[in-house]
Amino acid sequence: MTWTWFHRLGSPPYVYALAARLTPWFAWPAALLIAGGLAGGLVLAPPDYQQGDGFRIVYVHAPSAWMSLMVYMTMAIAAAVALIWRIKVGHAVAAACAPIGASFTFVALVTGALYGAPMWGTYWEWDPRLTSELILLFLYLGYMGLRAGLEDTQRADRASALLAVAGSVNVPIIHYSVTWWNSLHQAPTVMQFGKPKMALAMLVPLLMMLAGFTLYFVAVLLVRLRGEVLSRERAASWIPEVLKT
Amino acid sequence: MSARVTSAARALAPEPAVGQGGAAAASLGADAAAALRAARLALLRDLTLAFRQRSQLIQPLAFFAMVTLLFPLAISPELSRLRAIAPGVLWVAALLASLLALEFLFRDDAHDGTLEQYALSGQSLTWLMFAKTAAHWLLTGLPLALMAPLAGLSLGVPVAALPGIVVSVAVGSVTLSLIGSIGAALTLGIKRSGTLLSLLTLPLSLPVLIFGARATELAINGAPLAAPLELLAALAVLGITLAPLAAAAAVRISLE
Amino acid sequence: MSRFLDMGGYAAYVWPSYAVTFTVVFLNIFWARRALARSRAEARRRLAMRAEQA
Repeated sequence: MTWTWFHRLGSPPYVYALAARLTPWFAWPAALLIAGGLAGGLVLAPPDYQQGDGFRIVYVHAPSAWMSLMVYMTMAIAAAVALIWRIKVGHAVAAACAPIGASFTFVALVTGALYGAPMWGTYWEWDPRLTSELILLFLYLGYMGLRAGLEDTQRADRASALLAVAGSVNVPIIHYSVTWWNSLHQAPTVMQFGKPKMALAMLVPLLMMLAGFTLYFVAVLLVRLRGEVLSRERAASWIPEVLKT
Repeated sequence: MSARVTSAARALAPEPAVGQGGAAAASLGADAAAALRAARLALLRDLTLAFRQRSQLIQPLAFFAMVTLLFPLAISPELSRLRAIAPGVLWVAALLASLLALEFLFRDDAHDGTLEQYALSGQSLTWLMFAKTAAHWLLTGLPLALMAPLAGLSLGVPVAALPGIVVSVAVGSVTLSLIGSIGAALTLGIKRSGTLLSLLTLPLSLPVLIFGARATELAINGAPLAAPLELLAALAVLGITLAPLAAAAAVRISLE
Repeated sequence: MSRFLDMGGYAAYVWPSYAVTFTVVFLNIFWARRALARSRAEARRRLAMRAEQA
């Protein structure tokens, strides 16, 4: 088994060119899946038995929550790879992930609040999932704050990578302790907020949205990645060629 | 200043070379012994230097007392009501005070080059980080734990609960110092890093807050608090194992 | 159509949710493209400076 493909991924010019080539292959399918998911979710799926048309929020809430977690994992893995094997491209990937993940964590919280208001009667609940999600937002903000506070790019890369890895080790601990805390203080909830047992007509658009948003994330990541890779190469010889295109 | 640097140099001077042949196992032992010796000296150095600036040690404790005072004034002087929120108040105050204290974990050493000496010395930076964090805990966390009963009494906590509170704050503050050491190492030399340090450290410290407050609550109600206390201890052990390593890596990153 | 917009009475929650989500979706695309353009401009500037100094 040759590991050339892996080694090539460590080469900035290769990654830059690859990212440019791959972006449309993720962007267009993403657009199609999201469009299809919207059509299915907003129009075709029947109203929910309990939640009426309000349940349609799940078609934006679930993908954003999924993204907030997936992006963090991607960021942490890229950071770990960059730290352990000293691959600069890994740092570029992690840096590119953070703003995307943070903004969708925010969306998850907002759409969650808007979902909870009619269903629970309150905009906010200190249940484990919301609380953990809020903490995740702070982890993202801390990561971005540390990057912003360090001028030297190399130090910023490595320090924030260490933070990302330390944070990811802590995420299960945080989630477990928040769940435990919540189970002690469980206020009588108005309605159980679980995913409704989904009919196929409801489930398929949801899966389309989840897949679509994942592809969308990769597409946006690839665009950001090119910028990050470029800014880490001071005056490499491959740059003039690439700037002409 | 020179006293600080020379004492650091003494802590780091490597052991005289052991004889060669068959010294592989001996050198491993010598390395471990050297690391421990360096760590012990670093610990003693930090303690000695801190006692020369006692005013700095008082600050986190004063802050802790102040924050505790805020709540009766802001909420209600009724002890029964205060008792209900005492666990939360105590732990939030302790958390904030330890955050404040983190400022001077590395500040002076980074400023006068001692930290660089530590990193360059060839001695185990992990052990040195452990020693510095241990000194920090002895100087801030432990006093905080000993002060907690006073704060607790002012919030209407029954006397029987006080030993449990002392133990839980003592154990919890170990983890807080350890997690904080990573954040402090990452933000070395950043101007006005106080809020950034808090933003980094607080999310990672939340489990300590949760279990500590729970232990305090159980202590107040006279219930056995073994469960959260054991969890606090587990977090401390995890911290002791991993944090000095991460802090050492962070220091190296920051010093490059 | 108005039944669609009304979302069974949940309009005040559903439509803002979609609005926030897709605003962020488009913002991310916008930010990413802008970041790339900035990096490219920066790289051009750096190369021009180096050419000048040479």
